[in-house]
Order: sequence, then C-alpha cells, then structure tokens
Amino acid sequence: MEKIHTTCVYCGCGCGLYLHVEDGQVVGASPSPAHPVARGRLCLKGWLAHDFVYHPDRLKAPLIRRGERMVRASWEETLSLTAKRLKEIKEESGADALAILTSAKGTNEENYLLMKLARAALGTNNVDHVARLCHAPSVAGLGISLGSGAMTNPIRSLLRADAILVTGSNTTEQHPLVAATILEGQSRGAILIVADPRKTQIADLADIHLEPRLGSDVAWTNGILNLIIERDLADEDFIKERTEGFSALQESLSKYTPEVVERISGISPEDLERAAIAFGEAPRAAVVYAMGTTQHSNGTDNVLALANLILATGNVGREGTGINPLRGHQNVQGACDMGALPSVYSGYQKVEDPLAREKMERAWGTDLPSGPGLTAVEMMEAAEEGLIKGIYISGENPMMSYPDREQVKRALESLEFLAVADIFPTETTALADVVFPVASFAEKDGTFTSTERRVQRVRRAASPPGEARSEWRVAKDLMKRLGMDAGYSSPEEVMAEIAMVTPSYGGISYQRLGISGLHWPCPDTSHPGTEILHREFFPIGRARFFPVEHQDLEEDPEYPFLLTTGRSLFHFHTGTMTRRVHLLDRELPRPKVDINPEDAEALGVRRGQKVVVESREHRLEIEIEVTEQVPKGTIFIPFHFQEAPANLLTVHNLDPKSKIPDFKRTHVRIRRSDS
Amino acid sequence: MTTTSALFLDHENLVPLLEELAKTLEVVAPVYAEGEPVFATWKGEALALDADNPLNSPVEFFLPQKEVLFKYVQYSGRYTFQEEPPKSRLILGMRPCDLQAIKVLDEIFGTELPDHPYASKRMSTIIVVLNCTSPGEGCFCASMGSGPVVEEGFDLLLTDVGPGYLVESGSPAGMFILRAQSHHFEEALPEHLKEKERLLDLAEEEITKRRPALTPEQIREAIDETDWEEVERRCLRCGGCSLICPVCHCFSVMDRGVPDGERLRCRDSCVLSGFSRMTSGANPRASLGERLRHWYLDKFVYIPEKTGMLGCVGCGRCSRVCLSEIDRWSILREAIE
Amino acid sequence: MMHKDLKAEKSERRRLQASRSASNRLSRYVPLQAEVIDIDVESSNTYLISLRPLDEEDETVRLEYCPGQFLMVSVFGLGECPISIASTPTRDPLQICVREAGKITQGIMASRVGDVMGIRGPFGNGFPVEKMKGRNVVITGGGSGFATLRSLINYIADNREKFQDVTVAYGARTPHDLYFTSEYGSWQAAGIEVGITVDMMDASWKGNVGLVTSLLKDINPAPGTAALCGPPMMINAVAKDLVNRGFLEPDIYISLERHMKCGIGKCEHCTMGPYHVCTEGPIFSYDVVGDLL
Repeated sequence: MEKIHTTCVYCGCGCGLYLHVEDGQVVGASPSPAHPVARGRLCLKGWLAHDFVYHPDRLKAPLIRRGERMVRASWEETLSLTAKRLKEIKEESGADALAILTSAKGTNEENYLLMKLARAALGTNNVDHVARLCHAPSVAGLGISLGSGAMTNPIRSLLRADAILVTGSNTTEQHPLVAATILEGQSRGAILIVADPRKTQIADLADIHLEPRLGSDVAWTNGILNLIIERDLADEDFIKERTEGFSALQESLSKYTPEVVERISGISPEDLERAAIAFGEAPRAAVVYAMGTTQHSNGTDNVLALANLILATGNVGREGTGINPLRGHQNVQGACDMGALPSVYSGYQKVEDPLAREKMERAWGTDLPSGPGLTAVEMMEAAEEGLIKGIYISGENPMMSYPDREQVKRALESLEFLAVADIFPTETTALADVVFPVASFAEKDGTFTSTERRVQRVRRAASPPGEARSEWRVAKDLMKRLGMDAGYSSPEEVMAEIAMVTPSYGGISYQRLGISGLHWPCPDTSHPGTEILHREFFPIGRARFFPVEHQDLEEDPEYPFLLTTGRSLFHFHTGTMTRRVHLLDRELPRPKVDINPEDAEALGVRRGQKVVVESREHRLEIEIEVTEQVPKGTIFIPFHFQEAPANLLTVHNLDPKSKIPDFKRTHVRIRRSDS
Repeated sequence: MTTTSALFLDHENLVPLLEELAKTLEVVAPVYAEGEPVFATWKGEALALDADNPLNSPVEFFLPQKEVLFKYVQYSGRYTFQEEPPKSRLILGMRPCDLQAIKVLDEIFGTELPDHPYASKRMSTIIVVLNCTSPGEGCFCASMGSGPVVEEGFDLLLTDVGPGYLVESGSPAGMFILRAQSHHFEEALPEHLKEKERLLDLAEEEITKRRPALTPEQIREAIDETDWEEVERRCLRCGGCSLICPVCHCFSVMDRGVPDGERLRCRDSCVLSGFSRMTSGANPRASLGERLRHWYLDKFVYIPEKTGMLGCVGCGRCSRVCLSEIDRWSILREAIE
Repeated sequence: MMHKDLKAEKSERRRLQASRSASNRLSRYVPLQAEVIDIDVESSNTYLISLRPLDEEDETVRLEYCPGQFLMVSVFGLGECPISIASTPTRDPLQICVREAGKITQGIMASRVGDVMGIRGPFGNGFPVEKMKGRNVVITGGGSGFATLRSLINYIADNREKFQDVTVAYGARTPHDLYFTSEYGSWQAAGIEVGITVDMMDASWKGNVGLVTSLLKDINPAPGTAALCGPPMMINAVAKDLVNRGFLEPDIYISLERHMKCGIGKCEHCTMGPYHVCTEGPIFSYDVVGDLL
C-alpha cells in the first residue's frame, strides 16, 4: 500500500488528499491533515475521488470514426489523422477555421501546451474553455476594476472577516471547504449575509438571508452601497488614496433607494438596511460569489457592482476582506492563468499587445496571430455557420454544459473534423471523428491552480488503463507533427517553460510545491508566493469604480416561470465522473425539478409525478421535487443528468461584455405530464 | 496482564529487525508521505513512529476502502470464481485505540456467520502495537475504556522508554518473532519496565484530565437530549465521520464487468440518504437527523448490547474530519449539561 | 451391527461436513450457482422461478431451509439482492418469486430456462413453525410479500395435521396482481380456509372487494398465531385488527423487508434500531417491532 499526496479533481477548493495505491491500482482516498485548506477534511466527492478511476467505461483505446461507428485504432493512426486534418483545414480555409477548447480539468501543463498548439502550431487565437461559461465576467469585470480577475484573498482569510457577504453561491454544495471556512468564521463572530433567491443550506445558516428576484443583483448591490455611503460607512481614505471614479459612482447610486430596490428585487428596506449596516460597519468584510452572480446576461455588471462595494468600503488588500469569486472546476483558474483564452497568453498578457506578442514569438520561435479569437459559445455559432471547420476538444462536454444543446449538436455535426480527448465516453465524444483516451488526475503528474490562486502538485499514483495516455503527451505529439519543436520530457519541463514566459508563475517549480503549493503571483524562485492581492497597489495603479445600472428584464407572459440551473453536492458538472461513482449516484440517481409547493398545487402535481417544462424552442419531461427552497414562480434543475439535460432549455442570451450565457434565468412554462 | 517475557529493542535495531521481517512479510508502518505520517508499506524509508497517530487508521488493512471479493468468469453458461489469498502482513505502530477497534470488529465480523474476507486478513496479519505516551489533541480513549494502556490482543507491544522500546509479546506469533529474531533484542531491565509504567500513568492522567469519563448511561441520556434537527441543519453531509471511524464498517457490494468481472465491496456510510433506501424508494431513515442519531445509537447502545464493548474508541478522528466542526464530545456533553 | 454403526457414522460425518461447508459457504461471499429450470408467469411483472442449485460438478445441491427465509440472488455483472424463498422445504424444486423493481430484479426476470444465477443462503430466521404447531394459524398479506407466505402455506399443507385451524386472507390491488391463483384450490383441499380480496375489481371478478381487514371481518378467525407480510401500512392495520380479535402480540409474526447487501449482518444496511433484519429477522413478532413499524 502506498499513499500519494495529490490534489482533488473535483472543485476549486483544491483540497489536498492522499490516494491509496495497492498493487498498482488506486483503491482509496483519505484527507490530508497538513493541507492548509482541507486540514484533514474532505467533502463526500473528495472521499470518493478514487472511485471513478477504474469504472469499466474508461476509454482505453484511441477511436476513429468509420461512418456511423467508432473503431479502435492505434495512437499513430489517430495522431497522424488529426495532424493531417488540422493541416488540411488550415491550408484550405485559414488558421481561424480551427479552434481548441481546453479542459478546466486538465493540468496547467496540458492547458499551456494546448494553447501553444493553437497559437504557435495552428496559427489561431481561437482557444477557450469553460471559464467562458462560469467566470468570464470575473475576468472581464475584476480585470478592469482591480486589474486582476482572481480571488483576492486566500480561503482561510475568511476566518478573519467580521462580515461575509455570500451571493450567488450555494457554497455548502459547490465549495464545501469554503463553506466550512465561512461557517467557522461565523462561529468566531463574523456576520454571515447570504443573498440567494433559493433557501439553500448556507442561506438557512446565515444571520441575514436576502432573497432577491432573479436578475436583480445590480439593484440590490447598488442599494446596499448607496445606504453605506449615506450612513458614512464608506472608507473615504481608501477611496481617495487608491481609487478613481468615485464621484460618478456616487451619483449613479443615489437613485437606488431602498424603495426602488424593493420594487426591483423584492428585498425589503429593513433587510437591505440590516445587510448594509452589517457590511458597512464591519472592520473587515469580504464578498464571496459564484455562478448566481456571473451566469447572467449582465454577469459582468453584477461583478462590477460587487467590486464597487468592496472598493468603496476599503475591503481589499487586507486579511479578512476581499472579493472572492469561487472557481468551479479544480483547474479552471489554472486554465485561465495558462492563457487558454482567446485574447490573452499565459499570465493574462494580451495577444493584441505588440510587446507581449513579440515576447511570446521570441520564446516560441514563431510568428503569432494578433487578433483575439472567438469565445466558446461564439465558436459554436461560427461552427454552425461553417466558419469554423475543425475543433479539438479536451476533457469537456459541450453537449451537456453549453447552452442550447440542439445548437451545439448542429454546430459539432457540421464540423469537417472533430477530435475529442476524454477519460469516459460522453455525448460529445459520440460526435467525434477521433477520440483520444487520456489519463485521469490519478494517473499523471502536473499542477492545478485552485480558486485561491494556489498552484499545487498533482502526482501520478498509477498507470492509466489500457492504452490511455497523459494528455500532455498527446499535445506534444501533435505539436511535433505540426512542425514545432516540442522536446519536453516531462510535465516538470513544461512548467519550467511556463515559469519563463509567465511572470506570475515565474517562481513556480515542482520542488517548491510540497503539500501547500504556492499562491501566484510568484515572480521568482525566492518569492514565497502572494496570499493577498492588492496590498499596496493594484496592477492598474488605482482601482476603478464602474457605475452599473439595473437593466429591466423582459418578461414573457406565455412562459411565466423562470428556470434557474445549478448543481447538487453529490454530482459534478455533467456527471461524467460522479454518475459513475456508486455512492454519489445513489444519493441523487434521477433528475428532479425543484418546484415551490404553491406552484405544485396550482399545477395539480404531487411529489414523484412528472411535469413537462417547455421553453420557446424545446421541452423536457422531468420528475418534480416539491420544496420550499425555491420561491414561487421559479424552478430549479441541476444540469448533471443527460436524461433531462437542463441545457436543452437554456438559450445563449450572451452578456455582451464577457460572452457568458444566461444560465440562471430562462423563461419556461410547465404542465403536468401525461405519462 | 502482559506476559513476563519482556525484552528491550534498542532504537538502532528496529530497522534491521524490520528488514529481516520484510523478507517474509509485508511490513506496514507509519512513514512520511509529503511530510505527514501515513500507514503504508515500508520500503526502507524513515519511520514516523514518533509522530501523531496517522489520520487514516490501519483498520483499512482489514477492511479496505475497496476490495475484490471474487472474480467471476463465465464459460459455456457456467461461472467459475476466483478469490485472492490474503497477504501476509505485519502492522507496526498500531495504537491501543485502533487495536480496540479491531477487537470490536472481531466481535461483529468474526462471530455468528464470520465474514471470510475480514477473517482471512485478520488471521494473516501480525499486529505490533505501539503504546501512546503522549496523547493527541482530540483523543479521549481513556473515557471510552480503550487506552492509553492496553493489556492484550496484540502480537507484540512496544513502548518507547527512551533509548529504545520495551517489547512484550501477547501471542504465539509474537513469541515466535522474539525467538526467531532474538539477536536484535536484549534483556529488559527493571528501569525499562519502570519507565513504561511512568509514561503510561502520565498519559492516562493527561487524557482523563482533558476529557473526564462519561458513563454509558450519561451518553445514552445525551443522545436522547440532543436536538438532532439542529445537528442536521449544520451537518455538511461529507460522510467523513463514518468513513474515518475505525469501528465503522458499513459496506456496499457491487459488480463490475459483464460477462466476466469482479464483485467488489467498498466502504459505505449510514449517514448518506441512499444507504437504507429501498428500491421502492421507501427510506426507513429518511432524514439526516435520524441517520446521525442512528450512528450514535449504534456506537453507544446497539454495539455495546451486542458485543459488550463500546462502538467508539475515543480516537477523536470523527471530530477532526468533520466539515462542520461538529465536535462529537461536545455534542454529548452539552446535551447533558 | 458394526456395519450399521459405520454407515450411521459416515452419514453423520457427511452431514457435519455438509453443514460445515454450508456455513463455510455462507461466510464467503462466493455464491452457489443455480440453474433456472422453470419460469411461471404470476403477473405482468412477477415471475415464479424454479431453480436447481449446483455444486462444482454440476450436481444438484439440496438446500435445507425453513419457510420465511430468503436468498441473496446474483445476476453477475448487475449485482445481488435479497429475494424470499417462495417454495416449501417439503417439496422440490427451490423457487423464488421475483417482481420487477430495479436493475437486478430486471436482470433476474430477463433470464431464461437454462441460464444460471448465483444464490447465497438460506439467510434469516424463518417463521417459528415449531411454536405454531398445535395452534390456529392465520396467514395474511398483500403485495409481493405474499411469496414468502406461500412457502409457509404449502409447508402447512404438507404438515396439515400438525396445525389447528388454518386460514389464509390475501389481498391484492387488482385481480391481475393476485399470485398463485392455481394453488388456492389445493390449499382448500388441504383443509385451509382461503379468503381472497382485491382493492379494485374488473369485469370478470366475482370475489370480494375491499381491504384484507374487511376480509378478516368476514372470516372472523379464532385467536392463535398469525403470519403477516405486506406493505407497512397494511401490516400495521392488520396487526392491530388481530390484537383486537384476541391475538397476543408475541404470537403475531411479521416478515419485514429492508435494503440488504450481505445477508449476514455485517454491512449494516438492513438495521432497524438494534436489529439486523437479515439475521435477527426477517421474521419479527409484533411485540418486538410494533413501535418500529
């Protein structure tokens, strides 16, 4: 029996854990007492992190499409076919007819190589990943207000807060270790304010639960800040010394009186005031947010409103404060850091910046394209239109996770070439021309970067099954076949190159990572890492206030219900792994739609019965769960289940500033099912 | 009552002894993995015997998180089955609390219709217990009657008395090792025995000072008084308490592979909602509060009724791994006070 | 003389060996294989399956069991689940009655004559037939639980003289859900009073309509022992009714059902308070489990 310390594969908490290995097989997992976030604890998914690894469905051999069927092929065949088709499409239609979607579950090294493959080998900036669907507004919003889109404080900093505002985050179910830390902070005296239209567990445990209507976040956030300013609770020194644009903000906020906020959001003036005073009076206050804030057609504005709030109260750059976007996947932060984004290289160096581009051209020894590429959902649109003809998808399942599933299907089916790398067959591999079987987190070396910018080691515990390979090798092989120099002999060497070209990762090397890893920015090998951002200055000099306005939401009288999507504690994302874990799937084996008891009664449906939920274009049939957790007029469907894929009903409705789709608010109607 | 054949093992002789034993047995010992003590197969690296009891108890070598019960192979409409023989192991450094857990499991898994996979591992594993001379922070073994002093049930018992270990045998297998490896051992001197007494008295004093004993009646009362709905509200549903507990042994069985494959069993947890749910959907313990209460009742009422021993050994791990920081001891104490 | 002793000794040794290997077999999780030799369709989603347990040489193994015990039945690749034994030990073959509920029962129902499944057991305590001998017996139940009662009914039919008045009161939802309809006549012929009722009738039904409790009202059985199996609500109602009729709580035996994975009291899935339904049950007397129902 051997115990290998690695980082959990599921969420952005980035818990350390030990994988148990017996006779070359991963047979168990246990918590890591010395890990700074986990501290000897794990959530149920973490305890079972080993369990999906040897499921019989694991892809073990490369596959090539022959007509309707996928047949086993050799690595040589599949790699050479892929390189050939990508070259052909580039020659016929130009580099921008190609795109790469990287995996937020892949390592930093894999993301870096795939992004380099796209830019240096294929010549396109069409590279993106699921951050587009989750925290693109954080990158866009916090990028312009603070100069950096990442969580400003480490998770443990929440223990020192005097007030914590949690908004748009079902923390106990999505980020259990962050929730545990928040609740510990509450037990030490922090006032916990939770804003969520649903009565989640953390809302139930909060000191103040605000229940805003879907889509009203700008209004109530502005309302809170307005009250804070009116009551002289703003941090005037901080505003004067470290920010710009306050007077314009103050003016725009004045119309968000408690009465106006109540009309828009449904939050009572009393509750708004309680929250405002609690937040404003706290010497150290922190904001924590997630999908409920970002996945809206005005997601970036929602983030900017929160940024305004912490800036005006001086709650940034100190222990117990900060703005803390909770990243979903265990390495979506890393994927962003590695530049798997259409407009930046690693370290957020802009492709349009001639100096940055020149530096990368020198480092990579090739010319690079200068215009920003397409974002993920835009790629789907372009594919349907025939502008994008070839895509390489890594460890992602757009058929389940992207909005408007039917559109995704049409888009992927109209491609001339689709290669997908994954560990299990998915609805997306089913459409591929080539499928690469790759290693899971337990079977490769590399690094993940958690939501708190902690770069941590992933350590190989066992060999991948059958002929599956680590994806960094696949990327390296394709790079070579496309004429690039790619002599990396290990992921460690890839990290050495990353450190060379990425200032914030400059001091990252495997020997330095141990159990605790390092927080970036870590510019050189003697730097201890940066736990708290913006202590002295912002990357943009002074932080900026951006006034944002509530936008009236369209109602659709024929489709009077609002569908909001989200997740369950027991499943992860599209369920590719968790639905194959016996104990997790047993907790939540079937999809159900949460519906308020009054709505259920009005529709004449009882628990266990099915309803048909219809949007303008599509419909799905699903069993109901009657619960007080959702307010009247709103229904909730988790998006893990392919039997009732919630994203069949969602539409693009992209936020113009970040291109994130509006997953949180879709107009639907409901009726009893006949069956 | 320890045997009279006590010997002394100088610190310097421990590794040579283990190297000899490793020729015929798999030696499992506390070693460092990224700087933290864990029980793993010893491959000659530095031992972590001075460190705290590893978080994951060595009971996993008798009840693994996942194991193959048998393989099935189909041929011409008939099956043949293959079971793996157990490995011969020696576990070095098991603490008295974990040994007590094994004793409770022996009663549950070894009697009536004995569980063959557990029994076969049990009978092919030599247990070398290390006495705890400085209890860990969350420990309350003395209150549960499971430590820090242990009298029997081990094959060998080690107590670190300074320059080396006092070694006592508790079984024929232990005796055999002392005889076969006698060149590593010396005579135990009276001061070694005295030092053991002194250290264990100190340890017992320290532990009982921190967590004074609760009687089973008090615990039963506390379970009745506790507001389980409130505990349910705060529980973050990680299952950690039941997965880390060395006495907990719930498992689930599943098949993997058609037509040939394996029947596996893996650790399960009674606090999960799907645990007692029947195929019809009916669930005898439908609320989390009921399930948490059942977990306590099982440890402090049902297991004692069946086996005569408490189902809790006071190792404190459940509190350490709890996401909600629900301190077991405090739940019980507060309920009574 | 000596020859007879040796023979007795030999058969005693073989019996001990068989029982040792039987319980040895029970401790290991490796099942016995059982060939499907017949399938009777009881209703649209319920089959009565006859099995021939086999040893390693494909020879028939005769399982020793009592009415009320159960088997852990395996479909290799899908898993294992508990199924009551529906046959009586006094007759061959061994039979189980399976209703489609989840993926394992679906797998069992998909088998054909000649297919092999795994069986482990018999497990559980069975009905206390020794205590019921010489006394009146009321056997009442509903739903798929009736399969375990059939084992007891046929056992009594084969040992009729050992029991006093024996009554069967059986209820199902609709006439199509009634099991073992072809056997009611043989029970009556054996001197067992048989009452059948359905919740909802159809055009062809000419019998009683209503709950089992109203059937009992018509039959008006004299107090004695009782064996119950069915949905929890029905059991509760019937047990209370019997108590009102003068039955003593310790004489009312109830067969319970739980999620099970090992069958030998180790996995803890089937616990009910302090009891394991697989070892201390599935038969419990009403005084013991009344509160827990």
